[in-house]
Amino acid sequence: MTGTDDAPVIEVVGLRKRYGEVLAVDGISFEVRRGEIFGLLGPNGAGKTTTVEILEGLRRPDDGTVHVLGVNAAHAPEQVKQRIGVQLQTAALYPFLTVTEVLELFRSFYARSRPTEWLVQAVDLGERRHAQTRQLSGGQRQRLSVALALVNEPELVFLDEPTTGMDPQARRSLWDLVLRLRSEGTSVLLTTHYMEEAEQLCDRVAVMDHGHVLELGTVEELVTRRFRERAVHFDTLPGLDLAELGRLPQVKRAVIEDGETVLYTSDVAATIGALLARTETLGRDPENLGIRRATLEDVFLDLTGHALRE
Amino acid sequence: MSAFLTLTAANIRSFVRDRTALFWTFAFPVIFILLFGAIFSGGGTPSYSIGWVDQDGTAASALLRDGFARVPLLKLQDGSLSASLDAMRKGSLNGVVVVPKGYGAAVAAARGSSAAGAGAGAAATTGPITAGPGTVPLDVYTDPSQQTSSATIRQVVAQVVSTTNLALLGGRPILATVDRSLQTQDLSNAAFLVPGILGMALMQLGVFGAVPLVAQREKLILKRLGATPLPRWTLVGSNVVLRLLIGIGQAVLILGIGVAVFGVTVLGALWLMVAIVVLGALTFISIGYVVASFARTEDAANGIVQVIQFPMMFLSGVFFPIEIMPSVLRPVAAVLPLTYLGDALRQVMVGGSPYAPLPLDLGILSAWFVVCLAISARFFRWE
Ligand SMILES: Nc1ncnc2c1ncn2[C@@H]1O[C@H](COP(=O)(O)OP(=O)(O)OP(=O)(O)O)[C@@H](O)[C@H]1O
Ligand SMILES: [Mg+2]
Repeated sequence: MTGTDDAPVIEVVGLRKRYGEVLAVDGISFEVRRGEIFGLLGPNGAGKTTTVEILEGLRRPDDGTVHVLGVNAAHAPEQVKQRIGVQLQTAALYPFLTVTEVLELFRSFYARSRPTEWLVQAVDLGERRHAQTRQLSGGQRQRLSVALALVNEPELVFLDEPTTGMDPQARRSLWDLVLRLRSEGTSVLLTTHYMEEAEQLCDRVAVMDHGHVLELGTVEELVTRRFRERAVHFDTLPGLDLAELGRLPQVKRAVIEDGETVLYTSDVAATIGALLARTETLGRDPENLGIRRATLEDVFLDLTGHALRE
Repeated sequence: MSAFLTLTAANIRSFVRDRTALFWTFAFPVIFILLFGAIFSGGGTPSYSIGWVDQDGTAASALLRDGFARVPLLKLQDGSLSASLDAMRKGSLNGVVVVPKGYGAAVAAARGSSAAGAGAGAAATTGPITAGPGTVPLDVYTDPSQQTSSATIRQVVAQVVSTTNLALLGGRPILATVDRSLQTQDLSNAAFLVPGILGMALMQLGVFGAVPLVAQREKLILKRLGATPLPRWTLVGSNVVLRLLIGIGQAVLILGIGVAVFGVTVLGALWLMVAIVVLGALTFISIGYVVASFARTEDAANGIVQVIQFPMMFLSGVFFPIEIMPSVLRPVAAVLPLTYLGDALRQVMVGGSPYAPLPLDLGILSAWFVVCLAISARFFRWE
């Protein structure tokens, strides 16, 4: 059943899932290669969790095929559960058990398991190891939930918004952990709302909305595919209207976001020269003038029409 | 197996650490038993209802009745043998005394030869008075499971009989009332109550099991476990084992109080007791699973459980015999599983009079169990 080393760890073809009137997943296809960190991005209700839970064997697809580690996840989910690690979007823990007790409990479910101490250290819960889970903070609970996904030394880990509720330090330390897992050969499928997280971690991402995959590839590919231009940005100046700015040399598009004017251009020097010449006639300099490449956030805005985090 | 044991240990830990659940599981039946035990035992001078069966119908037997009637501890009720025994089975009599045919003739004979029948008084300390040549056997029915009342009645009867014998032998009627202070409580209801409370506790344990189950589902713990290779039977099995252990704990506690505080004697075989406790617990656990199959939220489960357990508590003959219930409610009692669990426990524990034959009790419990098992297997949702 298990494929060769270069066979994908996840293969999704034409997956569909409907809840009554809602088409949560509408015919998506993608694959996750062995040893890569794959990100599913998308606004609330895009269908990320639904997709992930079908792959985990927790929900049945209505249509399409899903293979996880070479096993058909819709037909034989039990065969694959020993080999995958699962962190659900909502942490579910025994409230009256301590951190180590919960870890020990989950260890007993698997043929192979990591030492409890390794797990406790991996998510920095050393100081709280004897606390009952109902006494943990939201972020700590989330960390324990991630540790539970690693109990069985899985080949493939599913992390559904793993860093939600974590402070910046915990988030960075989780990123390190995920990168460490990859260096040990573990494949990771994660969903996130944080563009920075996707940019930092993911080898490839799929952007979903309304049950569709809108775009798929490396972050670099996604950005350059959509925005070959650079963005010239400055604090919006009164007296300069967008239509006029859009006619400056080489400017493809001009937008105003949060009090900032952004000009997408294929020739930064020409555009800035013309811009400064124009602002001089107003007798003012553009404040906070800068140049940047487009980011995943821009891709996202462009694709879905709204920011990832509302 | 190691998963099963670890999970069961985890379940036990969770249960023990949840102080509120722990309190209600163990303190509630104890409070109940002490409260109702106290109410039913009442205060003041105890008295016992004795069925008086006079099969002789002579002046001598009337004289003997007179002697018994003077004992303030006893309330005599005349009747035929079968009617009196029936009344006793149903709990309205504490004992039955039978004066056999031929008593009058024997008295007349004894008066003739005043030397005969010596020592009859000394032998009169146990149950049916052993009859020798020339004596008349006086059958005394008591319920040995109701230790105190049984012992008291026998002692009083022995006293009256020996006094009567003495009077007969001495030729003078010395039927003075036996004025002896017996330090006893009226426990006639404790023996009835203890098995009932045990049944009630097992019912609550099982049915209320729906609440933590639904809570685990609501908190997505069941879903999370579903993502592990843990087989579902392990999960269910471990939950059931936890409930069974608690049930046995409750049984020990309740019986302990029954024996220590109320002097109830357990008559039946221990293995049979354990078997009935386990069957009863399983039946009500399966009802709990049915509730959990249909309740979506913890609050809903709690509500449904109350709707089930409250009427069952009062309509299943836990606190008073079904025979004295209004006749419109009796058909309800006849279908409730707690009726049969209480009845089975009562029969085996204290030898109480049966509502239904024991095999029928166990059969009906098993039927409830199988049906509920099938329903929950069909409708139980893990998420
Ligand atoms: N059990 C369910 N029953 C009915 N509808 C559901 C169920 N689960 C999800 N949905 C619907 O399916 C759609 C996709 O939900 P899903 O949870 O997959 O989104 P998501 O991308 O994970 O969103 P989020 O970022 O908020 O976690 C949503 O419209 C949601 O309301
Ligand atoms: Mg989600």
